[in-house]
Order: sequence, then C-alpha cells, then structure tokens
Amino acid sequence: MQSTEALVSVGLNHYLVLSALLFTIGSLGVLLRKNMIVILMSIELMLNAVNISFVAFATYLDNLDGKIMVLFVMTIAAAEAAVGLALAVNIFKNFREVNIRFFEHLRG
Amino acid sequence: MGSDVFEISVNFVKMVAIFLLMVNLVPMLVWVERRGSAFIQNRFGPNRVGPLGLIQLAADAIKFLFKEEFIPPKGNKALFLIAPIIALIPGAIAFGSIPLSVPIEISAFEMFGSQWGPYVFPFQSFEIGIGIVFVLGVSSLGAYSMLLAGFGSANKYSLYGALRASAQMISYELAMGLAIVGILIVYGTFDFAEMIAAQQGPLSIPLFEADHVVNKILGILPNWGVFYQPVGFILLFVSVFAETNRLPFDLPEAESELVAGYHTEYGGIKMNMFYIGEYGHMMVASALIAVFYFGGYSLGTTLDTILVEGTIVPNMSALFASLLNLFGSGWEQSTNLINVVRAFVFHGIFMAKILLFLWIFVWVRWTLPRFRYDQLMDLGWKTMLPWALANTIITAFLMLFLR
Amino acid sequence: MSELDILFYILSSMSVLFGALVVLTSSPIYSSLYLVMSMLSVAGIFMTLNAPFIAGIQIIVYAGAVLVLFVMVLMLFDLKRETKAFTKGRFSGFLKLVGAGLLCGFIAGAAYESVSLIMATSEEIPTNIAAAAETGFSPTTNSIKEISKLLFTKYLFAFEVLGLLLLVVPIGAVALSRVAGGTHAKH
Repeated sequence: MQSTEALVSVGLNHYLVLSALLFTIGSLGVLLRKNMIVILMSIELMLNAVNISFVAFATYLDNLDGKIMVLFVMTIAAAEAAVGLALAVNIFKNFREVNIRFFEHLRG
Repeated sequence: MGSDVFEISVNFVKMVAIFLLMVNLVPMLVWVERRGSAFIQNRFGPNRVGPLGLIQLAADAIKFLFKEEFIPPKGNKALFLIAPIIALIPGAIAFGSIPLSVPIEISAFEMFGSQWGPYVFPFQSFEIGIGIVFVLGVSSLGAYSMLLAGFGSANKYSLYGALRASAQMISYELAMGLAIVGILIVYGTFDFAEMIAAQQGPLSIPLFEADHVVNKILGILPNWGVFYQPVGFILLFVSVFAETNRLPFDLPEAESELVAGYHTEYGGIKMNMFYIGEYGHMMVASALIAVFYFGGYSLGTTLDTILVEGTIVPNMSALFASLLNLFGSGWEQSTNLINVVRAFVFHGIFMAKILLFLWIFVWVRWTLPRFRYDQLMDLGWKTMLPWALANTIITAFLMLFLR
Repeated sequence: MSELDILFYILSSMSVLFGALVVLTSSPIYSSLYLVMSMLSVAGIFMTLNAPFIAGIQIIVYAGAVLVLFVMVLMLFDLKRETKAFTKGRFSGFLKLVGAGLLCGFIAGAAYESVSLIMATSEEIPTNIAAAAETGFSPTTNSIKEISKLLFTKYLFAFEVLGLLLLVVPIGAVALSRVAGGTHAKH
C-alpha cells in the first residue's frame, strides 16, 4: 500500500517536505514578529531549510554540486548575519528600541 | 554499534570506560595542580589527608556534594541550571572521537559454546571520518555554557565575565583553526588514525635521497609533526590556553577583577561540573597536540619495533598469561591476548604524552602573569592571526614544491 | 524501518519543533537558544544524508559562531519580554495559527508531490536515483577531496568572489560599529 510505504522508508519526498516546513516557519517568523533580532534569526532558519534541500538533492541525484552550493550559502548567511547584527546594534544604540513598529514612519 | 551481542556489549563498555577515564582523570589533575603549584611556589600543598594528600580530592568531592544548593532568586532558573551541563558535554564528546591507541584485532574464538567471529575494535568511543572538523565544532559549543551561566545569574560581574570569556574564546578559535589547516595541508586527511600512521618512520627531507648524510643525521628523530610545523605547534599551544580560559588568559575568572567571573554564583556540585568541563577541554587539547605534532600513540618506527613490540609486549603478555593461569587453566599466549596487551601498552604511551602536556599546562599557569583583556584581544587578532595565515601560505607553497 | 529512518523522524520532528518555538516564543534569548537546538538537529539530518563534512561545517559555522554572536548581542541588549509577541495585533492568535498551519500544509503537500513531477518530466533523473539507491550512496563520490576538486576548478570564480565578500564584510561591520577616536580612546 502506498500510504504505509511512504511512512516506512524515507525518500527524497520526506527531506523536501522537511525543508518546505522549515522554510514556511521561517518566513512566517519574518512576517509576523516585531523584534528585529528575531527576524534575523528567522532568516537564518530559512537559509538552513534551503541547505537541507540542496544536500538532499545532492545525495539522491549523486551530484556533488549541491554540497558546494551549501558551502556558499553558509558563508553568505554568516556574512549577512554579521552585518545585520552590526546594524541592529547601531540602531539600538541610537534609539534604544528594536521593535520595528517604531520605525514604520520615515521621519527626520 | 555492532553486529552481535559480544560486539555491542564491548562497544558499550568501551564508551562508558572512556567517559569514566576522562571524568576520573579530573580529580587527579586537581591534585597535581594543587601539589604542583605548591612545589613551584615553595610551599606544601595539601598533605594531611591520606598519603601525599591523595584522599584530599575525595574529601573535596564529598564536601561539594553536600553543599547548599543556591539559585539566585532574580536570575533565570532554567538557564542557570542548564549551563553546567553544557560545560561538560563538549569535552566528553570530543574526547570520545580521538583514537587513544591501536585498534584491537581479535580473531575468531570460542566461548560459551558458540563461535564469535573476527572483530576489529577501534580504541575510541565512536569513529567519525571527519575527526578534526567534529572536534573543532563541538569544542566551539563550549562558549554557550559561559554565556548562559553569566546571564542566568542576575549579576553584572557575571555577565561581564561571560561576555569577555566567550569573545576571547571565539577570537582564538580563528588562530586554532588556521594552525589546524596547516596540519591538514601537511597530512592531507581529516582522520586521526591516518595522521598517526603518517608519522611513522624516521624524519627525512624528500629533496635528498634516502642515504644522504643529512637524512642519516635527521633519521635519528622520528617523523613527528612538530618538525614539519613548528610555528603551527606554538600557535596551537597558545590558542588552547585561551580556549580553555587558562592562565595566562584567564581574565574572565580573575579574582581581583570580576569576583569569579561567570561562575560567581555557583557553588557545590554545579561549580565542580564547570571544573570537570575545563579540565576535560584541557585533556582534549592535550590529546590533539599529541596526535598532530607528537605522533600520537606511537614512538616512531624504530623505537616501536625495538622497545614495544620486541620486549615490552611479549613480556607483559607472558606476565598476564601466567597471572590468568592462576585463576583458571588453559590460558596461553594467544594472538588475541598479545593484541589486547599491545593496545594497552600503546595506550599507556599516549596517556604519558597527554600527562606531560597537562603538566605543562599546570606549570605555565603558575609561572606567567595574567594578560589584560585588551592585550589579550590584540594578541589574538593582531599577532596570532597574521602568523597563522603566514604559516598556512608558506606550508602550502612548500608542499607544492616538495611533492 | 531501518535505524536511519527512525533517526530521520526523530531529528526532523526536533528541528521543526524547535523552529516553530523560535517563532512563537516571546523572549528573544529563548528564541536564540531554540534556534541553536534546531541547527544541531539539522546537522544530524546532514549526517543521515551521508554528508558528514557539511554537518561538521554546520556545527562550526552556524551553531558555534553565528549563533554565539546572536546570543552575545541579545545578552548585551537586555530587552524586556515582548508580551504576547505572536498573538498581539489585529488578528487574533488563533487565526494566525490556523492560517500558518494551512500555509505549511499547502507548501509541504506541494513539495511532496513535486518529486513525482520531476521524475515524470525528465529522463535522466529517475535513472540517477535508481542507480544511487542501488549502490547505496557510495562514499567515494561524496568525499572531501572530490568537493575541493570541484571547488577549485568548476566553481573557482565563485570561490574567489566569496573570498572577496568575506574581506569586505568584516571591514563593513567594523566601519559600522566604530567609536569616534578608536577603542582605546577616553570618552
């Protein structure tokens, strides 16, 4: 039967579903949370989900390009986290607020 | 874990035994530290409790177990309680992935009426093909224990100590990683066992032939990594002092500055767990230095064959066979017994090297004064990082021209 | 069910659970700690996917450096708890959860069905998957030497550009957080 077989042996589908779930949760975090740092963390979660997808395809299609893309994505994610945190620290020093609702109206 | 009951049980016992080895070495290290520091400072250490003060540590452990458990009321209780556990875990896991001796090969034998097939037991808790990457990653998780401890105790000094300690730790991870990259370029593999196997044989320069006079002179020395990467050895040695928050880099724990840093509010068994974590980290660092630069569990091929294989192993296995003959009968010097004894003799050599490095850790602690925090960070970023980069580039060039 | 399957289910449920907790928790420090746990579970998933090197790099880079930076910054900020962060706003919390669940379900279902679509529209991919399943994902093709060979020949340009990016980003971060007069100046 197809339904129990899907549960019993793990295939490419399962990894893609996991990646899609994590990506959706991350994007919901970006859309719904108001704390700037939590938004940055949700972006890291989305990049992780994409990494899982790349490595799953690399393993199941016997292709090494996926793993190299993962190295690039990780490096860029780390660099972007560093710059994002530097900006967040600057904003906190100037305004003492990390709630993005405070910055909704461009003023002064 | 294994294919049949014997293998699974032996692997399980091995995992527990290696963990207990690490945990039980900690009280001995504390005793060595207290007596050794007293010897360096020209005073007596603890010498009342038991011969040479050896029972002092058991007394201390019992005292720690019975102390009052104090949780700061305004602090974050969950983070406060989790931090000591996170301090223990990286050291234990990293120690389990370093091979402590040659793998034990057991050929087919018969016991309890059934045949147990040939096995090979690696002398480590678990085998990972990416050895050094795993150890590096897991030891960088130790920064969380400091941060959580400092944040969970509602104490400004703890928070400052925690932030300083974790900033220092991630700064020196860079120099450590680059020194390890130098070793990777020389040996071309991530696996510890292959690195140790590549350090057999006498030292020689590949440019000259095998019986040139330079190679004959250098052939006395074993083919250890410290002769290939002297700058890398110094860099790694200094970096692990900073990684484990050990003097001369222990400003986060300095009594005169920050009370006791990030573990000010801890007492009793939780404080002891921080110490086990720190000494465990030191043991992993000593094991890494021994594996990379000093040949691991081997002494160089000539000494190995003459000393170990020729004399020590046959004599000790004869001794063991005669000892076991006292209990039962029919134990002769089978190859299995010789293999097991051989593995333990090599393990003894490895532990001797680790203990030597641990003594050097204790020695340096009570010899050098402490760095100031900005001097520490300047050293890490402005001195060690350029040296490590230069080391990597020069090693890469030399490897290209010598191969 | 082989052991790898059970391991996959445990690790994936852990990573999804901790990922959801990252978004739903009010206190930002707990969010970052849940994110660390999620990253470690994802490293485990990379191990089950026969990519131990990527798992090691994930632990070193993400869990050991980037998230330590996040936790340090959050501890310096000392933010008050965002009360009812997920549920406050124009829509009630229940509606947000239901909407989120529907979106997750749609996208996960689409991902599940997409594999059969990929297999149907291309000729070489199903044969590749069958061949890979037969040989059992031979570790020789996944070794680190092969990855580095590809990195230095086929993707050399991207590698060099990445190095340039890694040079520019710390300079930018330092320039953003500079204090007038340098760190050793008296204020």
